[in-house]
Amino acid sequence: MNNGRLAAARLRVERGLAALGLAARGGARYAGNAPRLFARAGERRQQLRNDLALRTAEDVAATLGAMKGVLMKLGQMASYVDDGLSPAARRTLSRLQDSVPPMSEDLAAQVVTEELGRPPELAFGTWDPQPIAAASIGQVHRAITRDGRAVAVKVQYPGIAETIEADLGNVALLRRMLKITAPAQDVDALLAELRERISEELDYRSEARNQQLFADFYDGHPTIHVPRIVPELSTRRVVTSDLADGARFAELAGWPTAERDLAAETIYRFVFRSLYQMHAFNGDPHPGNYLFHGGGRVTFLDFGLVKHFTADEMQPLAAMVKHLCVDNEPEEFRRAMVQAGFLVPGAPVPTPVVIEHMAVFYDTVRERGPRTMTGEYASAVTRRFFDFRSPLASYARIPRSYVILQRINLGLFALLGELSATADWRGIAEEIWPFFQGPPVTPMGAAEAGWRAGRTVGTHAASLGHKRLFKERPGLKFPRPGTETPAGGHTAAGTAPGCSG
Amino acid sequence: MTAESYSAAGSGGPGGVVPPGASTAAAVGLVERYAAAFVAGVPDQPADDGFFGPASVTWRLSADLSAPVAGLRSILIQALHPLAMAGVDKHSDWRRDPVGRLAATSAYMTTLTYGDRASASGAARRVRAIHEHVRGVDAVTGLPYAAADPALLLWVHAGLADSVLAAVRLLGTPPSDAEADRFVSEMAVSAELLGVPREIIPASVAAMDEYMAGVRPELRRTPAAAESMGYMLDPAGMGEEIAELWADLRDAALAALPGWARDLYGYPEPPPVTPARRTQIRQTLGVFDAVFMGEPGVLEARQRLELRMRRAEGSGGHGGVVPPGANTASQ
Repeated sequence: MNNGRLAAARLRVERGLAALGLAARGGARYAGNAPRLFARAGERRQQLRNDLALRTAEDVAATLGAMKGVLMKLGQMASYVDDGLSPAARRTLSRLQDSVPPMSEDLAAQVVTEELGRPPELAFGTWDPQPIAAASIGQVHRAITRDGRAVAVKVQYPGIAETIEADLGNVALLRRMLKITAPAQDVDALLAELRERISEELDYRSEARNQQLFADFYDGHPTIHVPRIVPELSTRRVVTSDLADGARFAELAGWPTAERDLAAETIYRFVFRSLYQMHAFNGDPHPGNYLFHGGGRVTFLDFGLVKHFTADEMQPLAAMVKHLCVDNEPEEFRRAMVQAGFLVPGAPVPTPVVIEHMAVFYDTVRERGPRTMTGEYASAVTRRFFDFRSPLASYARIPRSYVILQRINLGLFALLGELSATADWRGIAEEIWPFFQGPPVTPMGAAEAGWRAGRTVGTHAASLGHKRLFKERPGLKFPRPGTETPAGGHTAAGTAPGCSG
Repeated sequence: MTAESYSAAGSGGPGGVVPPGASTAAAVGLVERYAAAFVAGVPDQPADDGFFGPASVTWRLSADLSAPVAGLRSILIQALHPLAMAGVDKHSDWRRDPVGRLAATSAYMTTLTYGDRASASGAARRVRAIHEHVRGVDAVTGLPYAAADPALLLWVHAGLADSVLAAVRLLGTPPSDAEADRFVSEMAVSAELLGVPREIIPASVAAMDEYMAGVRPELRRTPAAAESMGYMLDPAGMGEEIAELWADLRDAALAALPGWARDLYGYPEPPPVTPARRTQIRQTLGVFDAVFMGEPGVLEARQRLELRMRRAEGSGGHGGVVPPGANTASQ
């Protein structure tokens, strides 16, 4: 009797494996597109994930409820602060990410139906039921709109918002967990950021607003591309944007040095141009959030964590750079630090010690000339950041509104260091610094100057409203590869609006 | 509530108090050793579905988030039988290695639940062989005891089954009454494998309640029970933050305990499990679960089980465990 059952079971498995030939491509795409979540996902493993798909809201709750979704987000955030985590905590958090399978086709379709009022096959002209990537508390599908626009559709897990909101309410437990996982960190700042960030991500509409803001600001930019939002197909739990295609960060590593340098220059310009002109910072400089097209052209994905700074918050940041790197006025630098709240007033630490401690963060912009970002530099920055034994440590603070900026230090520099990117960073910074307004120092700078000259409205206004504020410049329009390729023709690499959440 | 409430100070069992160093070392390895036991017990390529199988209520309840609370509660119930407690106290080295003792039980239960029939039977045979040597006279009651005594085995069995139901009803996804009955009847085989005659094993919730009520006059808090449970409820050597998490587990186990058992121990009544408190405890259980899942092999073992459970649903299986409206898995 048992033999019969066994034989039947084997037959089922074999049939399943044969069927896998059909499913494998989609499965592999899902795996290939989510380097962090599914790094170890082979085809067999992918089939496993499909077999374990979340089929109901109850499945979602069992997988991501009871703090697990919150812990998973903590794990994603913690990938920037590896040095602050115990190995066991890091392992636990990364396993948690591995443990979340995609939604079943039916469940994803159910969410789309609830959000858009029609099942996906009707809301869109063409709908690919196989997700192409994991995303922030959801997953990404490809589709073609009814008017022929190729889009990426991010679909949120049903019920996850309510669950996570309840879990975020247990502050006492969150504090305990953070103390255990990241004992060296400022628990309150981390907790505040965790709560704020997750709450924002629960409503995809804020991400859609931010992404459109960046898309508008960089419209026509020679190398920076931000996929546009399709507002009529975006809601609280579904966000639809233009589909982008390109090489992933891992592929970029194999490109010629000149190409890598150009890509790094674009990322650098994007970060600081956004900060100084838009007063906005996209706080997720994760490798999975870029697509590379050659010639320095980069598509920026995932605007789930955007911080907008007020003019008052920006002023001391700019002043610190100016006093240290341009005017060489240590006491003024210190005053700006105190004004921003980075240093307690009257700290019994001599200013040269303050400068010595802080200088590493400004190392790449203190002098003109080409400099190579290295992994060592990124590590040095990270070490300094977590150096709680320095004479400054007891007097240094990170005010809550600036917590997110640590990602420039911990994320951006790590990224550029991984590329061993070389450029005249100071020269580029001078172009961007509002108090300097330097002339273009690279061909990309010259192209960017042309782009800026063509805009009708300048600077900060863009962060104040959601309207299109800039003149269209069709001639300089960034090619949108997604719209040129039929849905079936996409490669495994890179069509997601981001997988890091 | 303070740790002192549960300490066994003054009750000092004959073996003396746990040497602080030893218990510190032991408590640290709790999750690791539990996880290793779990991973070893979930077979990669089972020859058959074992004594329960993927469609069983037992599998579903064993995977419930409330399982750690069920485990802790069941030890509290089991220890109240003076002769069962005497066997553990005199014949195991739980003082030197309390976590090892728990991990051994956990390993056995995992193999019994998820192993194929050959593995489960083999594990049961080994336990019976050990039980043969566990006999003596209890200093407290003056009564002889033997671990192979069906009466003691049945109490231990009932303590577990009753606790699984109590914990899942308080904190988990509760079974229907029919499923609860099916669970008790499924579990009978585990007592049978250790030598309890089938005809005296309760096969329904009502029968089990009746049996447990009948044993109650024999129950008492012996010094060994007070000492060992004091340790379980407030393990020495945990870091402060972990100890705070453990306190939630302890409160949950005590809340799931019947009033008469709490009274026997003289433990104070824990905070009531209001809906808000239930959510908090589940959140703590989720953290424990995440930490457990971080151990090597645990996620893979769980996925193996989940796949088998889904296939059982898909193929019709017993049907009783499938929630109405649930889709089948492998499309």
